[in-house]
Amino acid sequence: MMAVRSQAGVADDGEGGELAFEHVSHHYVSGGRRTDVLADVSFAVGAGSVACVVGPSGCGKSTLLSLAAGLQRPASGSVRWQGEAVRLGPNHHLGMAFQQPGLFPWMTVRQNVAVGLRTRGQGKRDAHRIADEFLETVGLGDFADAYPAHLSGGMAQRVGIARALALRPKLLLLDEPFAAVDAFTRLKLQGELKTLLRLHRPTVVFVTHDVSEAIVVGDAIVVMSQRPASVQRIFEVQPEDRKRASPSYARKLAEVLDCLGVHSEGDAGG
Amino acid sequence: MGGLGSQLRGRVRAHALSGLLGCAGVLLAIGVWVLLSRLLAGGGGVINRLPGPLPVLQKLLEYASQDLLQDLRFSLRVFVVGWLLAVVCATGVGLLLGRVRVLGDVFLPMVEAIRPVSSIAWVPLSIVWFGFGFTSKAFLVGLGVFLVVIVYAVDGASRVPADLSRTAAMLGMNARQRFVNLILPSTLSEVLIGARVSLMAGWGTVIVAELVAADAGLGAHLISVQQSYNVPAVIATMICFGATGFIMNQLFSLIEARLLPWRAGILESRA
Amino acid sequence: MIGAEEGRRRDVRKRLLLGLGGVLVIAALWQGTIFAYELPLVVLPSPWRVIEALLTLVRTSAFWKDVGVSLMEFAGGYLIGGVLGIAAGLLLAESRSARMTATPVVEALRFVVPFAWIPLTVLWFGTSYLGKLVLVAYAVFFVMLVSTARSIGQVEPTLSRVGTMLGMGRWQLAMRVHLRAAAPSIASAARAAAAIGWIAVVAAEYVGASAGLGLMITNAATSLATPVVIAGMIVIGGVGAAVSAVVRWLSRAWLDYR
Repeated sequence: MMAVRSQAGVADDGEGGELAFEHVSHHYVSGGRRTDVLADVSFAVGAGSVACVVGPSGCGKSTLLSLAAGLQRPASGSVRWQGEAVRLGPNHHLGMAFQQPGLFPWMTVRQNVAVGLRTRGQGKRDAHRIADEFLETVGLGDFADAYPAHLSGGMAQRVGIARALALRPKLLLLDEPFAAVDAFTRLKLQGELKTLLRLHRPTVVFVTHDVSEAIVVGDAIVVMSQRPASVQRIFEVQPEDRKRASPSYARKLAEVLDCLGVHSEGDAGG
Repeated sequence: MGGLGSQLRGRVRAHALSGLLGCAGVLLAIGVWVLLSRLLAGGGGVINRLPGPLPVLQKLLEYASQDLLQDLRFSLRVFVVGWLLAVVCATGVGLLLGRVRVLGDVFLPMVEAIRPVSSIAWVPLSIVWFGFGFTSKAFLVGLGVFLVVIVYAVDGASRVPADLSRTAAMLGMNARQRFVNLILPSTLSEVLIGARVSLMAGWGTVIVAELVAADAGLGAHLISVQQSYNVPAVIATMICFGATGFIMNQLFSLIEARLLPWRAGILESRA
Repeated sequence: MIGAEEGRRRDVRKRLLLGLGGVLVIAALWQGTIFAYELPLVVLPSPWRVIEALLTLVRTSAFWKDVGVSLMEFAGGYLIGGVLGIAAGLLLAESRSARMTATPVVEALRFVVPFAWIPLTVLWFGTSYLGKLVLVAYAVFFVMLVSTARSIGQVEPTLSRVGTMLGMGRWQLAMRVHLRAAAPSIASAARAAAAIGWIAVVAAEYVGASAGLGLMITNAATSLATPVVIAGMIVIGGVGAAVSAVVRWLSRAWLDYR
């Protein structure tokens, strides 16, 4: 089975454990029609590693996250967290940020970030304090008392990320978290995310359509095929690849894009 | 992989399950009914009589073989006349109020004020004006339906989608052509939605009017069996009333689907 | 340049003026019709007579007793039917098997309009308070059941996923997320249910009552006291509007995040 391993080089003392997809297949049935989404997906993400999943639109990347989070059960195969099959329903080891921010409109931003902590038993004052800290981290400290209706899409998405991070999860699942954010903010948030991940070292599965983002953030890039998706290839990311100015970055970018079937002009013939 | 076979099986299974549970629900409801009727049979108290399903069925068949059709005809006549007249009037008035700005601005607030007051409130006044006869009841039904449909008509008449408007201008349509091709269809399709919404409201008004007037029709029969303490017959009549409403609803859906096939799905979900 | 605040004030003023104008037009038409057709008092009393009758009513204690009775019947049934309806609607929305089981029965009963139940309640409960209460409760229950189930079904699915991810169990999810998210549409259904419940009370009082607004108006109608009848209609409309406003005000407190 292909595995994603952390590039940190140190012993795995991060908070995370290993997430493994073992021959996972999944399909949806709607209106009598069956859509195969995942076909025999197998790979593992080592403790404390960041796996970036890239692939064509609609290839089931979100489904992978949904299965890892225990929101659905795979049609066949199993998803294992630290060796045990992921349970359906609430799982307290993980935090997830969805494609739609999914903020509760009747709660303030602070309350939204704090609600997960409170559900897990934290007291109100502590939860709010922690919420404020994480809101600062994503640059929304001033908006703690605002209601989601007053936020832009990008801001709401950042609150969603703060909410997931505040849970200090061992497994962090991010579904295209920066897709709705403008390019400058995206670069800034990528940097901040990496800093945060270095602090707590959860196991991360990060779905994105932006390959350059995947290179900068991930320890490895899992390239998925078209629907029904399976793992095409796993690229390892070396530290020097992450520097955008370096030639190895450009090479890695070209490699991954090529794997995805995207050929840039001027390739053929140098 | 199964493909078509497994798809079909999946669909059949889904339908079978909902059908099965649905039947179970109906049986459960009837079971509760039988149970309650047994429990309450002996005692006095407030609910002094709840007949079981069988006596009710018996009375239903009895009624069906005697006066049901006649009563039904009376009630339906009241309903259809009132409803049709109201829909036609509402369309006309709606067009006026929707297209002529001044008229709309003056009269619409009044309509909005009167609308929440159900036609039921008008029953005593209708009795004063028209007595207990056919006119009185038809008036009430018509009033109720009119007040519901008028809003839809005004909506349809005043709001033609912007892109259709532009297309009409581009095609160089004159006023009459615009009316026939844009305004009228828009109004009529909204009126259709309102007409469906008002079906049940109108039918309910019929029964109230007949309960009060008690001269002829289903409602009158309901009062008369109530006054003779004939509980099974009361329930049987209620069932007739509901069944007629259901049939009318289905019929309307069919007609809708015929007239506006391309909008059938949308109409259903909006109503 | 008209500022937003100024523009809004003008809008309100314009609407008030037009509304007022409409009322005057109606009053004028009303009075005009009487003169033109020389209608007797019995058929169409002049607006003044109606106002007179209204003022007289307001000074009579029997009138207030009737209003009180009707309101009590309504309020009791509304609360009971509302709470039960929302609870049942929540149950149906959360449990697919419950929904499939209940649907045929609910759909069938939907067609037996609350008004059709009036004679039955009279048979069972006589003209007592309990009978009207049961009727209103039934009517309101039905409306709230169907609309609560539908509203919860339309809650954005991401919110459910978020709740589960955050660690909420099934019923926590139902109460804290689904119900709250559906609250705005449940609230507007509650307003509609209030209108239906109120009119059900009045209708029930037409048929069998010992006290109440409906009875008062029917008596006035049979004795052809038309001004009282029209005054009564205005009262019915007014109370209905007031009840609706109260419901809206109460739900606003809960929905102030909008």
